Amino acid sequence: MSPGSSRIRNVFEPMEREEVAKLWNERFSIPVEVFSGFLFFRKARSVWAISESDLPRLSYESLGMRIMSLKDRPWKPTTSALQIFGKHAARNLIHLDEHEATLFLQGESIPLTMKIQSGLESGYVVVFYRGEVLGCGLYSHGKLISQIPKSRRMADTGERVDIDDIGCL
Amino acid sequence: MDPLERYREIVPDYSGFRAIQSLPLYSSGRINLLKIERASLLESLKAHEVGYKIFDWYPLGLKLDIESPGKLMENLLGYLHIQEELSMVPPLILDPQPGERILDLCASPGSKTSQISQMMQNKGLVIANEPSLARVAPLRSNCERLGVMNVAITRYDGRRFPHGPFDRILVDAPCSSEGRERRGPGVLARSSINRSLDLQKLQIGLLKNALRLAKPGGVVVYSTCTYAPEENELVVETALSEARLEKISIPGLKECPGITVWSGRQMDESLRRCARYYPHINDTGGFFVARLIKN
Ligand SMILES: C[S@@+](CC[C@H](N)C(=O)[O-])C[C@H]1O[C@@H](n2cnc3c(N)ncnc32)[C@H](O)[C@@H]1O
Repeated sequence: MSPGSSRIRNVFEPMEREEVAKLWNERFSIPVEVFSGFLFFRKARSVWAISESDLPRLSYESLGMRIMSLKDRPWKPTTSALQIFGKHAARNLIHLDEHEATLFLQGESIPLTMKIQSGLESGYVVVFYRGEVLGCGLYSHGKLISQIPKSRRMADTGERVDIDDIGCL
Repeated sequence: MDPLERYREIVPDYSGFRAIQSLPLYSSGRINLLKIERASLLESLKAHEVGYKIFDWYPLGLKLDIESPGKLMENLLGYLHIQEELSMVPPLILDPQPGERILDLCASPGSKTSQISQMMQNKGLVIANEPSLARVAPLRSNCERLGVMNVAITRYDGRRFPHGPFDRILVDAPCSSEGRERRGPGVLARSSINRSLDLQKLQIGLLKNALRLAKPGGVVVYSTCTYAPEENELVVETALSEARLEKISIPGLKECPGITVWSGRQMDESLRRCARYYPHINDTGGFFVARLIKN
């Protein structure tokens, strides 16, 4: 990589909405209209989304929400972005029961051999509990590995609130 | 020296003011409508047997009867944001509207930024400015957890933030934080007139630049969590050639008027329109808020 290209890769470069929407549609069958009303940018190997508006010329540290990483293949959605866009997913999603949801929020791996939904492909999936998106999981060989960022996990020791009734959220 | 003694003349029921300093403040949180409906959040807290009381003055604010509210699943999933009661006042005074362009000049950790964003229903643009690199991370992670989509972060020294214009600007200035004593005792011990005078220079610089960046007729809200007049009325007074003050009052929350005499000096009468919130009057922390309209 030339020094020039690495410099360019450190600024926010506008990205076509269709390009982003297509990736999410292919993996999760999220309708492309869900992404209208947002502008997309790429910086280094992350994609960012911000509500549509005229952006003044400033030196930005971030633009809206970091929604996906293109660092590895396949691309990886962030938990924050799934909590916004993931509820529209029709494919590659998993519904957990109460016990599994607790483990998932603690950042654990969960064996799922009993409940493999048809059409579920290995890779990143939208994880639901009682109709609400909990975040991003990595599904592979009958196992779901939580991708919840450390700062947003429930502690697995000490006092915490049970999530038995998150469903009414 | 006792840093509160010099407020004897300006604080009503001074002994009540002294007495409450050693009483810890309850936890509180704000319901985040960007991610959940109010009724569903309240139901969820009930289901988890978390005791709460809705603020008298703000339907989204809750006193929480729980020790570590940050561990609440509602907080981790961004349905609730742990935020001090009076910290929810400045955004209401700013009154941002969907579609506007707003500047939050001193933004981290983003409690007010995210409240502003929620009031705008994620529409329009909020520039959240925070020069400290270490404090950008919590600002970002709070915004992302809360589902905020209309905030862009910059890292200018607020005194030199380059250009506007903005419809509304919040200057939630760095201050001596005397009003936070009930959160973590010790703040008062570090407070002194000299420290306030040092901060005053920075605060005047921030407010001056905010007034330059606001559009004519635009709103600038200046707030601190301190009692020191040097960091409050004396800062706002320097802006009165470029802007006028509007009276602040929130039904259900008792404010005291800004002061107009300090250290024997008479100041502009319109400073009465600022709001001082004292801990013993509403059982809160302490706060100062001014709402300015640029000429
Ligand atoms: C009272 S705190 C802001 C709290 C925040 N508004 C909230 O509600 O979460 C003040 C902030 O101003 C920042 N600050 C310090 N010097 C500054 C400057 N020169 N320009 C802008 N911000 C500054 C501090 O790093 C700090 O994060």
